[in-house]
Amino acid sequence: MFSRRVGYLCAIAAIWALPLFFTDTYWRTNLIVCALNVMLAIGLDFVLGYAGQLNLGQSAFYGLGAYVSTLLIMRLGVPFWIAFVAAVAFSSLAGILLSLFAMRLRGHYLAIASLGFAVITYQILLNWISLTQGPLGIYAIPPPPAVTLPWLPKIDFHDLGNLFYLVAGFALLSYFLLDQLVRSPIGATLTAIREDEVSASSLGINCAAWKVFAFGVGSGIAGAAGCFYAGFVGTLVPDAFFVTESFTILAMVVVGGMGTLIGPVAGAVLLTVLPEFLRGLGDWRLMVYGAALTAVVLFMPGGIVQAAQLVRRRLPAGETRK
Amino acid sequence: MTVVLQQAINGVVLGSLYVLVALGLTLIYGVLVQINFAHADIVTLGAFAAYFFTHGLGGGYIPSIAVAFLVGGALGWLMNAAVFAPLQSRSELLPLIATIGVSVLLENAMLAAFGPIPYAFESPYSNEVIRFGGTFITLQNVLIIAVSVLTIVLLYAFMKFTFLGKALRAVAQDRETAGLMGINPNQLVMLTFVIASALAGMAGAMLGPVLVLNPFAGTSVIVKAFAIVIIGGFGNVEGTILAGLLVGLIESFTTQYLGPGLIDIVVFALLLLMLAIRPTGLIAEKREENV
Amino acid sequence: MNAPAATAERSRAGAAPVILRAEGLSKSFGGVHALRDVSLTVRKREIFAVIGPNGAGKSTLLNLLSGIYPADAGVMVFDGTPLTGFTAHQRVRHGIARTFQKIRLFKHLSALNNVVAGFHIHCDLPAWQYLVHGPAFRRHDERCREQAAELLAFMGLAQRAHVMAGSLAYGEQRMLEIARSLATGPRLIMIDEPAAGLNAAEVDALLDRIERLRGKGLTVLVVEHNMDLVMNVADRVLVLDSGRFVFEGTPAEVQVHPAVIEAYLGGDVR
Repeated sequence: MFSRRVGYLCAIAAIWALPLFFTDTYWRTNLIVCALNVMLAIGLDFVLGYAGQLNLGQSAFYGLGAYVSTLLIMRLGVPFWIAFVAAVAFSSLAGILLSLFAMRLRGHYLAIASLGFAVITYQILLNWISLTQGPLGIYAIPPPPAVTLPWLPKIDFHDLGNLFYLVAGFALLSYFLLDQLVRSPIGATLTAIREDEVSASSLGINCAAWKVFAFGVGSGIAGAAGCFYAGFVGTLVPDAFFVTESFTILAMVVVGGMGTLIGPVAGAVLLTVLPEFLRGLGDWRLMVYGAALTAVVLFMPGGIVQAAQLVRRRLPAGETRK
Repeated sequence: MTVVLQQAINGVVLGSLYVLVALGLTLIYGVLVQINFAHADIVTLGAFAAYFFTHGLGGGYIPSIAVAFLVGGALGWLMNAAVFAPLQSRSELLPLIATIGVSVLLENAMLAAFGPIPYAFESPYSNEVIRFGGTFITLQNVLIIAVSVLTIVLLYAFMKFTFLGKALRAVAQDRETAGLMGINPNQLVMLTFVIASALAGMAGAMLGPVLVLNPFAGTSVIVKAFAIVIIGGFGNVEGTILAGLLVGLIESFTTQYLGPGLIDIVVFALLLLMLAIRPTGLIAEKREENV
Repeated sequence: MNAPAATAERSRAGAAPVILRAEGLSKSFGGVHALRDVSLTVRKREIFAVIGPNGAGKSTLLNLLSGIYPADAGVMVFDGTPLTGFTAHQRVRHGIARTFQKIRLFKHLSALNNVVAGFHIHCDLPAWQYLVHGPAFRRHDERCREQAAELLAFMGLAQRAHVMAGSLAYGEQRMLEIARSLATGPRLIMIDEPAAGLNAAEVDALLDRIERLRGKGLTVLVVEHNMDLVMNVADRVLVLDSGRFVFEGTPAEVQVHPAVIEAYLGGDVR
């Protein structure tokens, strides 16, 4: 579709332009965090917004991706990209196992089971000191190795601008893949499952298999984000993956617009950047996550996307056709 | 042997507090078929309220329990009015997500207001001990058990024997029919919320000296509360009481023999095990969905 | 392997081949027997009705046949394939479709998209085409929409294709549910109380569609309360009462059968 290609081109242009505009470390750091959060949010949205499963375990998949890749790189000397693939596979597998485990559980039970999974994972990362060094953390994690392309200067990922291109590139790739899936019969299948599982079964849809699929994809993307996070931040501590992280990602998805793909992107960017603007409020600025989430659910459940649609309908030109 | 007895006493003490917290959750689920994720934060706020009443205003400890009870009840009223009541007929997931939002909001508000450093909540009764045999029990623990048992018994009697209690159970079973029989479900839901949250606040006041009191104290409690409610069966009061005591005992014995770091893992592993085997709990019956 | 062979003999003898056979079906819920030892035989291109007073177990029977609950006892054989252990969605893939008494449409999707949802099980795109939408993908999408539009037209909903399912009139929603089930390409469609809540004109349209389905080669099993529908359209009728088998025969036979009349508490079976 014409407008879709334009949209992607704009995204690529924006990604290219941002580090040129924001040249200081502080903002470049924020950009990378934005990109990571976008990946986490769209991953969760695939499971929650499309398949309708309230997964509170995203923080665990994030952490597993970070720790698995880091341990492989630091302890076993595995090359970065192989560790990356391993991390994605591991997180994906964890998501699949959680989904299989929770197969018969509905709504609240699944939420609690996934929360339990997140808590257990955190506790394991915290307490298995011989493996993860617990709260002391793992230090001096290198960023992804520099890349040399024939006609360009060496791309070093110590440079935050380059690192942003890498992470944002993967975020865009993840978005593209999810977008394609969602606009295919798979997206309609997941939506059917979300709306009414009994009804979907009566149409021949294997609800269990598709839920597992959604979980595998969503957690795999989180694992990828975790891998980049480790290389970006250099020091890995379990506290980065406390369960509240799952709630933050949930807030991004819901505030942006559950059940759309662009919504979580908007939500991730907004909820990453907004607290930075509110630094004047001190610690009170953290309330923005909870306040935004609650307010959106109460007053505008469709999030930013719904708000944008309302604004568009007020404008004289153009008609929104479904 | 005395060690076992000691831990058993500690377990019962902890367990009775968890029962108070879990009862609230289960009552709310019973009438609304919803989980209030912010429930444990009411516990934390109750603890803070009691703390500031005693350490800030110089009030007595026992009155502070009453203060926490009232604060909890007020919060419950507020939460129902602002969040649950408006969201009722919508999807199954939205109210749950809203309560997650409230929980995050409350925790961060407490973080901004009180800071992340744990507060040392000392009860005057913590240091007075009664010894018998080789074991001892602090007066604080006696107080906890006394208050908890009294509350649980009163609540149980209320549910079983008073009109309001029966009305509550009617609403839990079939909201529409209860409404048709002249019971106002909305008011009853509000009453349930207030009672449940008041219990949570009160439990907070008594947990304060035992827990690490910081804004995130709720997270460790909610973990166990969920485990209790699931093991005991959502909406099942007797099951919750048994399960609460069970979890309390598990926690004290785990702390003794395996160290405190593993408590959450053990409890949650048990929770996941329950979910795998019998999602409806030890005592509740299986209900097949009516198609 | 005696029973199927014997049945095959009997069916070759005169009547059409059997498409669905169930024997000894039983189901209880927490001690309450919803269905006890019920058997039935449905032949190809037949319109088979299941009737009985409230609580007779009709919906339970349908739920067992469609695989929503596992049966406590009994066997079901569909077109020679035993259905034991088949989940609901697997039965759909084998050619059994059903609608629900309580309408279960995707309320936030358009009528057309509801029907399109039924085509997905026959989607045979190679996996990579889900990620990169090639020409086969587009062709498949178009074909689905065309066929969905045809089904909507068949059920009289052509004008309402783009209306949100939740906004349709009750009678239209019923027709849409049937259209959606037809999208799965079934050989047997089981319809649960389709006439409930419909006015006389809608019931007529419904009866017409059911007849036409037979013309298209489908077998129809209808659970129904409405005696007019049953007597005018059905080839054979199964009567249940309190979860038990009462009688199976032609509508004419059912009308005069003493046990049936008694089951309906002496009220007249017009």
